[in-house]
Amino acid sequence: MYLKKSRSSSINGIGKQDNESKRKRKVAEIFQALNNSPVDVAALRRMAISEGGLLTDEIRCKVWPKLLNINTRELASRPGPELRQNNKDYQQVLLDVQRSLRRFPPGMPDAEREVLQEELIDSILEVLKKNPQLHYYQGYHDIVVTFLLVVGERMATALVEKLSTHHLRDFMDPTMDNTKHILNYLMPIIERVNPEVHDFMQRADVGTIFALSWLITWFGHVLSDFRHVVRLYDFFLACHPLMPIYFAAVIVLYRGHEVLESECDMAAVHHLLSQIPQDLPYETLISRAGDLFVQFPPSELSREVAQKESTAVSTFKDFELVSAQQRPDAVLRRRFREQLQQEPRTSAIVAITGTRRLIKLAVMGLTVALGAAAYAVVNTALEWAPKFELQLFP
Amino acid sequence: MAYAYLFKYIIIGDTGVGKSCLLLQFTDKRFQPVHDLTIGVEFGARMITIDGKQIKLQIWDTAGQESFRSITRSYYRGAAGALLVYDITRRDTFNHLTTWLEDARQHSNSNMVIMLIGNKSDLESRREVKKDEGEAFAREHGLIFMETSAKTASNVEEAFINTAREIYEKIQEGVFDINNEANGIKIGPQHAATNASHSGGHGGQQAGGGCC
Repeated sequence: MYLKKSRSSSINGIGKQDNESKRKRKVAEIFQALNNSPVDVAALRRMAISEGGLLTDEIRCKVWPKLLNINTRELASRPGPELRQNNKDYQQVLLDVQRSLRRFPPGMPDAEREVLQEELIDSILEVLKKNPQLHYYQGYHDIVVTFLLVVGERMATALVEKLSTHHLRDFMDPTMDNTKHILNYLMPIIERVNPEVHDFMQRADVGTIFALSWLITWFGHVLSDFRHVVRLYDFFLACHPLMPIYFAAVIVLYRGHEVLESECDMAAVHHLLSQIPQDLPYETLISRAGDLFVQFPPSELSREVAQKESTAVSTFKDFELVSAQQRPDAVLRRRFREQLQQEPRTSAIVAITGTRRLIKLAVMGLTVALGAAAYAVVNTALEWAPKFELQLFP
Repeated sequence: MAYAYLFKYIIIGDTGVGKSCLLLQFTDKRFQPVHDLTIGVEFGARMITIDGKQIKLQIWDTAGQESFRSITRSYYRGAAGALLVYDITRRDTFNHLTTWLEDARQHSNSNMVIMLIGNKSDLESRREVKKDEGEAFAREHGLIFMETSAKTASNVEEAFINTAREIYEKIQEGVFDINNEANGIKIGPQHAATNASHSGGHGGQQAGGGCC
């Protein structure tokens, strides 16, 4: 599906050939990384981030589990009908899934879609049942359906479970307070790049709620072309949990002139920004988001963000999380040392190809798969991330 | 477009009761049988005429799910009107009204006009909440009440416009301080200077259509 598009998008024959050989080379590199023993996850991350992402759903089926460190040979068996009995979330999930028609490929026969919708319900309920600390939120199903459509029900459940206890963890609190905190990263990023747009938005008092559905569905709720959605998922799966916020900032910045031309009023700006254009130049924006992440990492923004928060509750929560997880940063450091020993190749690539940004991003993304809640990663692992970079980029 | 007043509304109520469909019917005169759910807050606007005056309604449509409350609450502030919606075919959505009302009263200004709406009146065969019950609840809590159908458009115009009329009357009575935007009312740019630009007349309703 995706390939067709990238092929037809090239203007002349030479470009086409060029693209085709580039694509072939990338496919070969991906399979090489997959066949490595152990699998070269760092390379897979770079592939997922770089132009075109993981190219096909077939490749995604193989690579997404690696990015999340899931063993595909040990998938749990399908739940029985008892899953839905006396389930506190069933009614809500059922209602939301019934309303999610838009997320299935247009033209899909009803019967086929209905089977998938049943699977979607089971997938969601299974994760929630196994993890009673997680709370369902509307929009969660937008994420799960994406995985379901790409990797099928059993694997989707496994991937989403991992994602839910890591990247999405904050969205799954009983309230959206932590999510609001994450949204606080948006304006400081915008300010760094375009203070004029930032000031305009502050004057309009638009807030950041226009980006809420972007963040908590990884744009699945707002983009109508599935190819764009999975391309972004490649990117986000390979990166730090805060990357969707950087991507949100990049979209706002891309529309900066429209913002400045609109009425400086909360309703007008909210309305403008919440209507996301469907023809965004995704590859350009992805690489821009990556640049911004490297240039202004969350650790640099966090002081500003923290000041905006009013309560000490979340700080305490971080503390709790960190202790509960036996200091994820310690785990991260250990894994990093292991990674370095396994991968002298990584530094060679830096010198040879000069894809520093990609590697940096992929490295920062590592913090994700290694088993720390998003919040803990933000607050602890990132203090460590710059040291990591120093070692990799002397 | 020039307006005499701008009224800010908020639509609240349980998830799936038809909040977004009511808004869509009011602003676009359309019904979407399967409407995707609202995440966070969405926005619509329309011009109406009351007492010969152009009034712009700026309507904030909120997510109904409990976990979004901490986000949607901040939109209560600065609303002049609220549509509190339940679904007449789902008793639980009616049972939750008290919580919604407490929440709204606690976070909004005390003069906010609240319209209670029993939506989906077209689904008579599946009705779980009697019209009397809605009326009684409204009476008890000092709300205006209407049953509507976003599907057939029955009473949809009336619900939005009657709320506006109530707000307008409160302005005439001097209850609202219209110079304080925190009350959810803004005086139009020209109107502040000249008051009689429109020929007075039929207090009727005039569709403006479109957004913003």
